[in-house]
Amino acid sequence: MKHFPVQVLMVLMCCFPVFGGEATAVDSKITIDGSTTVGPIAKAFAEYFMNRNPQLKITVAESGSGNGAKSLVNATCDIADMSRFMKNEEIKAAVDKGIIPVSHVVAMDGIAMIVHPANPVKNLSLDEITGIYLGKITTWKELGGPDEKIVVISRDTNSGTYEAFEELALKKQKMTNSVEYVGSNGAVRQRIQSTVGAIGYVGLGFIDNTVKAISVAGIEPTRETIVSGKYPIARPLFMFTNGYPKLGSDVYQFVTFNFTLKGQEIIDGLGYVAVTQYQK
Amino acid sequence: MNLAGRKLLDKAFTILGMLSSGFLVIAIIILLTPIFMKGIGAFVFRATIEYRKMELDLFERGDREELEKEIKQAESARSPLFEKLKNFKEGISNFPPAEKKRLSESFHDFEMCLRELLGPFPGESVPELPRNKYGATRWDQALIKLKSVLYKEEYDYTNPSKMGQKIMKPRSKEFAGTSLENLFPYLEQNMEKILQPKFVFYRQFLTDASKDAHFFGGIGPEVIGTIYLTLGAIVFAVPMGILTAIYLTEYSRQNWYTSILRTLISTLSGVPSVVFGLFGLAFFINSIHVSQSKSVIAGSLTLALLILPTIVRSSEEAILAVPKTYREAALSLGASPWKMIVSVLLPAALPGILTGIIISMGRAAGETAPIIFTAAVSLGEAPKLLDIFSQPTPALSWNIYNLATEHQKVDQIRHVQYGMVFSLIMIVLSLNCLAIMLRSRFVKKLKG
Amino acid sequence: MASESMNEIERFQDGNARFLSHNKTTFQIDRREELHNKFFSFLGRSFLLGVTTISSLAVLFIFFFILRDSILFFQQRDIREFFFSTQWFPSRDPSEFGAGAIFWGSFLVTAGACAFAIPIGIMTAVCLSDILPFSARQILKPLIEILAAIPSVAYGFFALVVIAPLLQERGGQVLSYLIWLLGAPLAIFFLIIGEMSADKLFPKAKTAANFIITGALILLEFLVLYTLSRHIFLFKISSGTNALNASFILGIMILPTIVSVSEDALQSIGRELREGSYALGATRAETLLLVVIPAASPGILSAVILGIMRAVGETMVVWMASGNSAKIPDPCFNFFEPIRTLTATIAGDMGEADHVSGSMRYHVLFAMAACMLIISFSLNIASEWIMKRTRKKVTGE
Repeated sequence: MKHFPVQVLMVLMCCFPVFGGEATAVDSKITIDGSTTVGPIAKAFAEYFMNRNPQLKITVAESGSGNGAKSLVNATCDIADMSRFMKNEEIKAAVDKGIIPVSHVVAMDGIAMIVHPANPVKNLSLDEITGIYLGKITTWKELGGPDEKIVVISRDTNSGTYEAFEELALKKQKMTNSVEYVGSNGAVRQRIQSTVGAIGYVGLGFIDNTVKAISVAGIEPTRETIVSGKYPIARPLFMFTNGYPKLGSDVYQFVTFNFTLKGQEIIDGLGYVAVTQYQK
Repeated sequence: MNLAGRKLLDKAFTILGMLSSGFLVIAIIILLTPIFMKGIGAFVFRATIEYRKMELDLFERGDREELEKEIKQAESARSPLFEKLKNFKEGISNFPPAEKKRLSESFHDFEMCLRELLGPFPGESVPELPRNKYGATRWDQALIKLKSVLYKEEYDYTNPSKMGQKIMKPRSKEFAGTSLENLFPYLEQNMEKILQPKFVFYRQFLTDASKDAHFFGGIGPEVIGTIYLTLGAIVFAVPMGILTAIYLTEYSRQNWYTSILRTLISTLSGVPSVVFGLFGLAFFINSIHVSQSKSVIAGSLTLALLILPTIVRSSEEAILAVPKTYREAALSLGASPWKMIVSVLLPAALPGILTGIIISMGRAAGETAPIIFTAAVSLGEAPKLLDIFSQPTPALSWNIYNLATEHQKVDQIRHVQYGMVFSLIMIVLSLNCLAIMLRSRFVKKLKG
Repeated sequence: MASESMNEIERFQDGNARFLSHNKTTFQIDRREELHNKFFSFLGRSFLLGVTTISSLAVLFIFFFILRDSILFFQQRDIREFFFSTQWFPSRDPSEFGAGAIFWGSFLVTAGACAFAIPIGIMTAVCLSDILPFSARQILKPLIEILAAIPSVAYGFFALVVIAPLLQERGGQVLSYLIWLLGAPLAIFFLIIGEMSADKLFPKAKTAANFIITGALILLEFLVLYTLSRHIFLFKISSGTNALNASFILGIMILPTIVSVSEDALQSIGRELREGSYALGATRAETLLLVVIPAASPGILSAVILGIMRAVGETMVVWMASGNSAKIPDPCFNFFEPIRTLTATIAGDMGEADHVSGSMRYHVLFAMAACMLIISFSLNIASEWIMKRTRKKVTGE
């Protein structure tokens, strides 16, 4: 993917205290808002830290990557979970308000296309996926399956997963308006699980044995293919803070937890791909 | 129409009426029964030994020696299992390579399902996430997981004109001829010894915090959050509402200004709840900055606006229902209007006003749309009194939506969702029953 | 309690008398005392007036904020696009804000809920006020209040977790059972028609003709229903969260409103009208249909309007159960397809209501909220006006 190396570079840059911004919020309270894809990771980290330090209060809200960015820009949250990088307008608005967003990569995630397990289709090419979401392909028969209508599920428009999918799979074209919008990864999975003719996309951590992940252009969405960059629809998951957090502060420990062994174990346990190719 | 026809019409009409009322009753029953039955399942259920282990570790509740004894019993039932697994793993290299590959794939799958049922195997490192540390904690979940251990769910795609048909293939067939084959019947028969289920009444469901995103634990923060939001709404709405009602009934003259005021207040009752939420975000948080971001107080203020018209209306009705004789008696003895209101009118109207307040409390507890962006988060600690100005809080109504749609493992926490809905409905219903009882006392009292 | 306050008043007057007797000129002190009291009472009244005005101002604030931010949208984007276009792509670049499909979705769900709840609601109200015995009323009224008190998110949860899978897996079955349910009232209707037509057409052989006609009609009905349900049994609903699901649950939600307000209206008519009609020999059904319901029709109309208001403004149920697909179903009255409503769009996109990036995304939500406010406001005014007219009519007579 084109963006992958550039973003990795930016991320590496951000790993050093180049920006030297001030420490974020007072250590006894951390407010987190943003993506529903990164949400489970943030919640698991939050519980771990709150267990270790009872004085620390962390609240996690999951209202979408776009809202997370807005909260960070309005200084209403300390950490913004986002499943896409910040857009130029958001960065500009942040800098205008005196906030310097610094990104930290928490994990790698693949956007997997899922269908109901009863669906015999096992593989789709990127063009076929584009065709389905643009409304050009309307029944499974055209893809080698039975004659059933395709129920197309998508994330709502303020989601980072949606924007990543739009960019990577649809090449920024308009989705057909018979698409059903749902508000989160979990909701997509639920719809697919209960609707035999449905297709949708979720983050890797949301796949379980009630849905079937199909391979895209012959490549299955697994840990190895995502880490090696072979899987065409993969992206890093970010946590943004205002300036680089002060070394040793709670926010610093939170956003760098994914580099520790315990953090990687948690990420792996949740079904995401740890940044450092952690093997169990 | 002749007489017979008219009589028939009469009977038909009666039957239609009865059918409609019957439909209403059936609707209530259908709505509430699954919620009650499954909601009680969050409180009373058969808990396995894994549950007791988890309770001791995470909540420090339970008898350690009892538990040790039970663990020994369970282990004596489990050890043949693990023996067989070990033998199989050692003996797997004896198979030809094609067989070996197929067997090791199936075995890996089988092991994962077994881990979900029994927890990490002895000798393995303990995983970090609490949900992976323990096996099935509820007996009903254990049975479902047992089924996935014993059978593999596969789909039969042979019919090209229909979607695949689900078939359950017994796993023992995959391992036919190996040492694992008789593990499956052993597992099935000794399930109770392995997991030692016992009935438990989890009364701390309403006070415990949730552990690992509602996998374990209870809904304490949500309940406390709802209580805070409701009480906050009452604190803001009740004084204003009662004073407004007093003014409108006692002091105002019936001129155009008063009727405009009345219209405005009744318009407030017609505003949709999501518009309140939008207004709360745009006004309380973004314009007058009652708090930095979401907080309990912004949510309470928004909810207070929502219930204000109800309180005004019910207080007005209660005050108007007090017989004129009470007022005239007090006034004729020389009391000023204010004194008359405070010492005679309000006490007489109090049950009616209280009824209105309690019904509004029920409404405020159940509303979701106003608090989505003013106060609610999906994970957090219950706020303490000093935090209400700066901290958002989980709340029962919002978290029901969150858990039912956005959660990572929605199916495994169904009992928590039902428990939440059950708790919310019980809170609202008991408030309403209280109000109904108060109202019947009130009616009796005023009628003498 | 009355005696206590009497004592207080007595004590107050006692002290007053003692105070007066200790002073030199009664006249001056009376006046000072009086001015004192007047001042405080004026202060108190103004305070109360202030509080009341603040309560009323709340709604003006809401209108002001919402309209102000929505006008910015209408200034910059075409009104016709907003109301009539069905291309809803707010996050694209260039963004399109065609909310036509969303308005249609709100309308469809409300119409479905009303079609289902109005007949049942009015019949139940009539039954409650006139037909059922008092003991049954004692049981039914609290039940209706319970139904009214259940929070909307619990309804939404039920719709999502119980009804959506049911429609998905067994949609055809459910529909065929529903068809049979409709058959019962139809059979009664045919009975009446049979009776009436036998009377008109064959006055000589009434009973035989009645039997034959009614029998034939009911047989015909059964045949039609049977074939219909056989066909529908195999019908597959592709998406369990659709307009039908949302309409059904919304209908149940607005039933208590319609029933209680209609019942109040029916009760408030008074017994004289009913007794007069009975005295003239009308049966109960005729009294109800021809006298009572028309007399209470303003109140019933007001109840219906309140129900519509509640259905239009409901958020959680439609957000969870209607599918959220911004598209006009095909054909446009197809209830089995997912739709999107105004309230669900506002709730789903509400986080955008910050001043940061896309200002049009922020303002379009306020435009939708403004439309909802205007609709609720006009419905409210209509309902209030009808109630006022009834009050005038009843008290005027």
